[in-house]
Amino acid sequence: MRPSKILLVILLLLLFVDGMLYLHAGLMARDLQNDHAVQAAAVAGLGLTDLCVATEARYTRHPAVSDPMAPFMDHPGTIEHFPTGSFWGAPQAADFL
Amino acid sequence: MIPPGLEKQFNILDFSLSSLWRRKYKNLGIILVFSGVIFLLASFQMLTGALSGTAKTVLANTPEITIQKMSAGRQEAIPLNYAGRLSSIFGIQAVVPRVWGYYFDGSNLANYTVMALEPGSMPGFSRLGLTLAHGRFPESGDAGGVVLGRSVQDILGLDDRRRFSLFRPDLSLKSFSVTGIFNRESDLLTNDLIVMNPADARDLFNIAPTMATDLCVYVTNPAEIENIAKKISTLLPDTRVLTKNQIHKTYQVVFSWRSGFASICLMTALVAFAILAWDKASGLSPEERREIGILKILGWETGDILAIRFWESALVSFLAFVIGTTAAYIHVAFLGGTLLKPVMVGWSVIHPSFKLLPAVTLGDLLLILTFSVVPYLGATVIPAWRCSTVPPDSVIR
Repeated sequence: MRPSKILLVILLLLLFVDGMLYLHAGLMARDLQNDHAVQAAAVAGLGLTDLCVATEARYTRHPAVSDPMAPFMDHPGTIEHFPTGSFWGAPQAADFL
Repeated sequence: MIPPGLEKQFNILDFSLSSLWRRKYKNLGIILVFSGVIFLLASFQMLTGALSGTAKTVLANTPEITIQKMSAGRQEAIPLNYAGRLSSIFGIQAVVPRVWGYYFDGSNLANYTVMALEPGSMPGFSRLGLTLAHGRFPESGDAGGVVLGRSVQDILGLDDRRRFSLFRPDLSLKSFSVTGIFNRESDLLTNDLIVMNPADARDLFNIAPTMATDLCVYVTNPAEIENIAKKISTLLPDTRVLTKNQIHKTYQVVFSWRSGFASICLMTALVAFAILAWDKASGLSPEERREIGILKILGWETGDILAIRFWESALVSFLAFVIGTTAAYIHVAFLGGTLLKPVMVGWSVIHPSFKLLPAVTLGDLLLILTFSVVPYLGATVIPAWRCSTVPPDSVIR
């Protein structure tokens, strides 16, 4: 068999896998619609402002309503020590009125 | 019948594949490392894209305006009479005071979010029942009643028990009774929540009855949110006023690939790989130089040799791109981004299991392709062109 035909088989295999994943994405999107409706109900009923992703520090638990300078405000010269503080980008100070 | 031009390209492709197979361990190693770098970059992009997409969808009903009192650069409790001072602003539908804060459970090293508001005060209260796996929300006179997030229930080790206690600031104990548990579907928002009545929250945190943590403002006409927010900040100059739009923008910033430490690490890895590829390709081995020389003596043109190198590089980088992005999708969709999650949640004891649909957009794929395939093509084809322009007799001698 020509090497290019072996390559074609490999590419078709990858195409098949990606096709299956594409179908999976469609099914998952439909499945997540229900979750999103429940989450939207929680937001509307409790006035929530943030996702519960990182709970170690208040400025990563609630970045939308925390002080933008919060990581450095515990005492003068304090340094950031929570790992998520270095992963998450800080909201722009100009966003606040 | 294959056209002659295409047949020639097929033959060159066959030759390139045979050439790659002759050095299979080295090339498979490159594909593996290259796929790994693309996998990390794509996983990061898909995970953060999914989170910011979810935030955009589910936070659509977040309070339109949130008012926080500021003192010496810090947020502090806001007097309830501030709500009355807003009555002069036309277009405000409702002002809802909330009492909320964080409770650090020292024995489990976990932070809980305590949230309290008057039952029925929020516009969307009637649909809150959807968020419960079982039970009900505490009613106004229901002293000590709480609804718990699933992780809070697990960490407190309640199982079927309904009663537990938390410490007040003076270390006296306050008892609570579980009236309901949030369901799995709402985990991404409620996993660390303890919802209770405002009177219980004030008792727990020792907050005066005339104070709240912040005020949520709902307006009649959504088009007037920004105007009303400006009026509020003029009327209450010692407050910070956040609008729904700013909350949404926050999530586009915190999860953006342009910000954050992880993206810098991944970009550094990509640059390191490009340098490695350049180093590998610029120092063609004597065997590879001799191969090019022999091909030229046999009548191959410079363009044909470049076509071989192009096919070799394109195949290696394209296969690595497809394998890397496919693995990234599987990593985020089926494994919940296991490798990146520890970086995202840090030392958090409570964090939800991610059920996220990876965000795959054409723009992101083109971006990853540009950062990966193009530098590799450049780093391998250009040195091959320099070598193929050298007289063949000087190469094979």
